Amino acid sequence: MLLFMRKKSKYILGILAGLLLMSLQPVWAAGPPEPSIFNNPLALILIILMILLLIIIAILANILIGAADVKLKKRKQTTSPVLRNSLLLVFLLISGSSLFAQGTVTETTKAVVKSIGGMQASTFYIMAFVIFIELAIIMAMLINIKFLLKSEKEKVILATEPQAEKLKKEKLSWWDRFNKLKPVSEEAELDLGHEYDGIRELNNRLPPWWLYGFYLTIIFAGIYLWRFHVAHTAPSSKEEFENSIAKADLKIQKYLLAKGDAVDENTVILLKSPDDIAAGKLIFSKSCVTCHTETGAGNIGPNLTDNFWLNGNDIKNVFKTIRYGINAMPQWQNTYSNKQIAQVASYVKSLLGTNPPNPKAPQGVEMKEAAVPAKEAVDSLNAKPVTDSLKAKSS
Amino acid sequence: MQVEKFYYDNKIVKAFGYATIIFGIVGMLVGLWVAIQIYYPAASLNFAATTFGRLRPLHTNAIIFAFVGNASFAGIYYSLQRLCKARMFSDKLSWIHFWGWQLIIVAAAITLPLGLTNGAEYAELIWPIDISIALVWVLFGINMFGTIIKRREKHLYVAIWFYIATWVTVALLHIVRSIELPYSLTGSYSWFAGVQDALVQWWYGHNAVAFFLTTPVLGLMYYFLPKAANRPVYSYRLSIIHFWALIFIYIWAGPHHLLYTALPDWAQSLGVVFSIMLIAPSWGGMLNGLFTLRGAWDKVREDPVLKFMVVAITCYGMSTFEGPMMSLKSVNAISHFTDWTIAHVHIGGLGWNGFLAFAILYYMIPKMWGTDLYSKKLATNHFWLGTIGIIIYAVPLYWAGFEQSIMWKQFTPEGQLKFDFMQTVNNIKPMYWARSVGGTLYLIGALIMVYNLYKTIVKGKFIPNEAAEAPPLVKETSKKKEFWHRVIERKPLTMLLLSLILVSIGGLVQMIPTFLVKSNIPTIASVKPYTPLELQGRDIYVREGCYTCHSQMVRPFRDEVKRYGEYSKAGEFVYDHPFQWGSKRTGPDLARVGGKYPDSWHYNHMYEPSSMTDGSLMPRYIWLLDDKIDTSSTPAKIRAMRTLGVPYPEGYDKIANRDLVYQADSIAANLKKDKIETASNKEIIAMIAYLQRLGKDIKAESQKPLAENNK
Repeated sequence: MLLFMRKKSKYILGILAGLLLMSLQPVWAAGPPEPSIFNNPLALILIILMILLLIIIAILANILIGAADVKLKKRKQTTSPVLRNSLLLVFLLISGSSLFAQGTVTETTKAVVKSIGGMQASTFYIMAFVIFIELAIIMAMLINIKFLLKSEKEKVILATEPQAEKLKKEKLSWWDRFNKLKPVSEEAELDLGHEYDGIRELNNRLPPWWLYGFYLTIIFAGIYLWRFHVAHTAPSSKEEFENSIAKADLKIQKYLLAKGDAVDENTVILLKSPDDIAAGKLIFSKSCVTCHTETGAGNIGPNLTDNFWLNGNDIKNVFKTIRYGINAMPQWQNTYSNKQIAQVASYVKSLLGTNPPNPKAPQGVEMKEAAVPAKEAVDSLNAKPVTDSLKAKSS
Repeated sequence: MQVEKFYYDNKIVKAFGYATIIFGIVGMLVGLWVAIQIYYPAASLNFAATTFGRLRPLHTNAIIFAFVGNASFAGIYYSLQRLCKARMFSDKLSWIHFWGWQLIIVAAAITLPLGLTNGAEYAELIWPIDISIALVWVLFGINMFGTIIKRREKHLYVAIWFYIATWVTVALLHIVRSIELPYSLTGSYSWFAGVQDALVQWWYGHNAVAFFLTTPVLGLMYYFLPKAANRPVYSYRLSIIHFWALIFIYIWAGPHHLLYTALPDWAQSLGVVFSIMLIAPSWGGMLNGLFTLRGAWDKVREDPVLKFMVVAITCYGMSTFEGPMMSLKSVNAISHFTDWTIAHVHIGGLGWNGFLAFAILYYMIPKMWGTDLYSKKLATNHFWLGTIGIIIYAVPLYWAGFEQSIMWKQFTPEGQLKFDFMQTVNNIKPMYWARSVGGTLYLIGALIMVYNLYKTIVKGKFIPNEAAEAPPLVKETSKKKEFWHRVIERKPLTMLLLSLILVSIGGLVQMIPTFLVKSNIPTIASVKPYTPLELQGRDIYVREGCYTCHSQMVRPFRDEVKRYGEYSKAGEFVYDHPFQWGSKRTGPDLARVGGKYPDSWHYNHMYEPSSMTDGSLMPRYIWLLDDKIDTSSTPAKIRAMRTLGVPYPEGYDKIANRDLVYQADSIAANLKKDKIETASNKEIIAMIAYLQRLGKDIKAESQKPLAENNK
């Protein structure tokens, strides 16, 4: 009876530990915009792994206690010191495992800055440590079980015939125990007497891990629905999207500020360095040639080498046309950075007067190239005003 | 008690068995063909009927309804008679069922390449075929229940529970999904639009997998596995729990195909949690199968039938665990629209369905011909070729799916997308190639089976009517109290009714609010019905099966909004009969392609996709440049749309063609400016009109915040 109670309590402990971990979600997600740890696939996997290992430990512990108990009964007269030791060890391990489970619960709530795989470094290390400990416990238990079974085997050889048979019945592998399988030899007891076209049916118990796993998924479902639709501690799809945009924008701003690459249509300057022109040419040959042809003579899009322009011919207007698109011209702001757009705009400007073969008929208004003072065409994108305005914005 | 003598009908099993083999090979060949087209577009032969968009539906329909369908029928006709200790209720009905089903398949094989389709995945067949399916299905039901009612066995075995649930649920799914309004002998529009159509579609699509590819096959497993292993079924208790839990929970999980779409969040969450709860009931079937083999594992080493079954059940266990994992939003964000999904379904298709079908063929055919299998060695070779084929098929696709998705989501530090779409495609081309190698191995294995079975048949002598005897069923007189479930097992109609109630709940809870509660689909004032030309273009889009490679659903992710534009809203799809969100992005999303390229770009792209996009995998659609728009259908289409609630003005059907011609002329004139001469009555014009309309209705509003975002 006592053994039975102990068994049950182990399962309950395992589930409780799992529950505790899961019910912590709202705590983690206390600040709504901050995504909860449960959105991190790595964290989820680690937690599931921790729970699974915990369940395995509980089951193994049962097997171990059960096996030890059987032995204990058999040797009631002569108490074996080895056995007492192993029993002690089992209890130590079990209490240890539940302690560790609770350890996780308290430790993981701490906030530390460093991150691994998108989760806080300390959380990751604690989780990894718990898993390591759990694995170690499982190893220790397996070794113990093997030891117990081995001594059992020796007994069988020593024992008399009828006794040996009885012992054989008790002997079950960890796998059979894990699934609550009865030995094949006892199958007749499970036979329900159903028979369909020669097919008989047994009535084996449900594998405990299956049943408790099923319960766990139902609990998961309840918590999930509660978090997303009652407590609103988990973000909706829309909130998740808005958070990700806000986070990314901040990161980009910081990056551009640090690099000094901030440029837009108000500050763009014609670039003349061979490197920039070459970079512009590369982009042109990738994205522009289908409509403007390799030489810029025009096909679907207008000729870029003549003096006729549909949307303005100065660098700022060309930049704008490329960045935002206009009429049939697609926008490129989502494909290329502003620096890249400045490069390709400068390349386009460099095509003027190259007189390629098969030019498209002129479109738009004739515009004479404004004389560009040599000083202004500095090879630089580090336009100070923009950087300043960004600084002001982010501070 | 007097023992009655009777005969099992083996002829009908033989017929369904042959059909399984023939359509299995055909379906796999088509599959291989489309797999090659994906990396070698010229394999479409530049011929309309053999392009990917038309052949992929043929492949999926052939495998699901012709190969697995016929295999299930063969197994059901074989096992049901033996489990009921009775010949089939009516030989005539059996044969009407058989020929009716084969005619449906042939009709599908003709109409799908012709481009006659409803444009809904796995429900592509046009309305006259839909009606024939319903009729044949009802006849099959009458035959099955007739047999069950005249049975000589008091209780129904678990396999039959699965057959009953299959029958009633497939009937329900098929009828609801096929509610459509015909506008011609071959054309119809789905009764539902946009979000609602999507919900109905994936309620249907997901449960077609559940109740056409899973429950009947589980039933077959419950009969053929214990027979082949000669072992008792592991746990009756597990059978009961996993059966009822499975059919109840499965129905709810459909929305996991629509995570992060415009479907309301609450419906998505139901899809997630019911998918997770589905793990244990699904695994119940796997456990009952594998544990039944306890004490028979030595036989598995010898017997190819058991070998196939073990791998089949293992694949079932893997894909029913993977499926719920893919239903978690964070995983789905990566896996959806990629080849990951394709790999996932093929673990189920090749592993679970294919291998179990092979197993029962290897079991039944020697039995019905009163002989042994011609060669165990060949069967073992088939087993290994098939297994290796599955691995070589699936692993590269998992890789491709994961890699492509991760590439889609990468940004440069400046906040630009790191890879354009074509770069991500180029990267996974080798994986597509490897996948077709895996498929070839699997097909070779199947051909070896054909040879082996042929030799077996030649060796044996067919037993058309197998003699059996059993005492008749006497009416229960004793009042002995029975286990409650044993009582249900005596009452097939109660079982039918209970199944129907259980499978109805999930669908009703999800559909009724989505259809009736306004806030689920907020209306957008700027969204207007399609013009007649755009409508014609849309029907061409559906006809060509563009949805097999292109989605029309921008999910609310930073990368997708950057790449495709503002994420899709529920209100944008209210005039979409049927919806065309798609489920795979072999090509880019098209939800907001309108206005992205000039008309002439589309013209050139349809003529030769690689001229506009270097390395494109899209086939050429040259016939669109020659074929004329069928304007005679416009009035009927407009009338049908009006009936469905699309607000065209009264009498618009009579003048619609005038508007159509006007819009077509302006597109032709626009093309002329770019040196493209074409008549305005060609299909390409309608196609361009439709593509240029896509996603534009709310574009004006959405561009502003985007531009600001980028500063």
